[in-house]
Amino acid sequence: MNDFKRLVEELDPLLHERGRLAIVSALAAASQLTFTELRDTLEMTDGNLSVHLQKLEDKGYVTIAKRFVGRRPQTSCQLTRAGRQAFVLYLDHLEALVHQARGQARA
Amino acid sequence: MEPRQAAHTLEVIRTLMERTCQYQLLTARAGLAAGCLTLAGAASFLLLDASNPLSFGVVWTVVFAGSLCATCLGTVARGRERGERIWSRQARAIILALAPSVVAGFVLTVFFFAVGGGMHLYLPSVWMLCYGQGALATSAYAPAPIRYLGMALLLFGGVTIGLTFALGESWAVPLMAVGFGLGHVALGIDLLLKERQERSVKVFREVA
Repeated sequence: MNDFKRLVEELDPLLHERGRLAIVSALAAASQLTFTELRDTLEMTDGNLSVHLQKLEDKGYVTIAKRFVGRRPQTSCQLTRAGRQAFVLYLDHLEALVHQARGQARA
Repeated sequence: MEPRQAAHTLEVIRTLMERTCQYQLLTARAGLAAGCLTLAGAASFLLLDASNPLSFGVVWTVVFAGSLCATCLGTVARGRERGERIWSRQARAIILALAPSVVAGFVLTVFFFAVGGGMHLYLPSVWMLCYGQGALATSAYAPAPIRYLGMALLLFGGVTIGLTFALGESWAVPLMAVGFGLGHVALGIDLLLKERQERSVKVFREVA
């Protein structure tokens, strides 16, 4: 198997989905975001965002906390250490892919 | 995944991360308006007497009020254009970061006018120092040019207070025109170029 194919196969399949990648990217930039902030920033529907967050939580990449602010419920999401590590690894793989292609183009 | 797609994904991730933590509603028009108003305000002292506290106070009040109006109008227009909320988490973070400098600048302005004896001519340096500090405080949430403007204004504020003390009050207004006026014009031009680039790319919408 060539390096290129290996790198592609090593990409985390959970993060490779663009909706989940967008969620993790946003959470990596901010320490904590509410469900509403995430939904507005990523322009996702409530249902779509819920499904993706559930999958990320199941894998241990995000923590979801629910509390009341006044009388209104608020859901806040945070990237876990495992989620951050997976995100950084995913970025490393993407960068390696780009570097390898650049190297091949120069050769 | 193709390398080109990997590069594109990296670009999109970067855009998303910037969008999440940075305040994106700063407008070129507001920057240019603040710069031009400051230059006009400074130019008005070719006719008016800067050592007169009343004319000095009126001119700079008009400049700051005009700049604030331009910023508010520009923010609302940009928020509508981008379909974003104006009172966002980033906006609250910016205002909280700016608040100490604004309060300090206001208190010192009142104090310098109250002391009298031409002390108000030290105010341009005080304003530049406070504004520069405020701009640096917001730099975690604002685009990079704000950080450069903050550093430039701290430098100009320091130079202005030194020159005003050593060589006389006549230096204060021209240096305010250069630091605050031209600084904002430069910021406006930089933001204008970025706004044009953003219109042509619109990377984010392809993903989210």
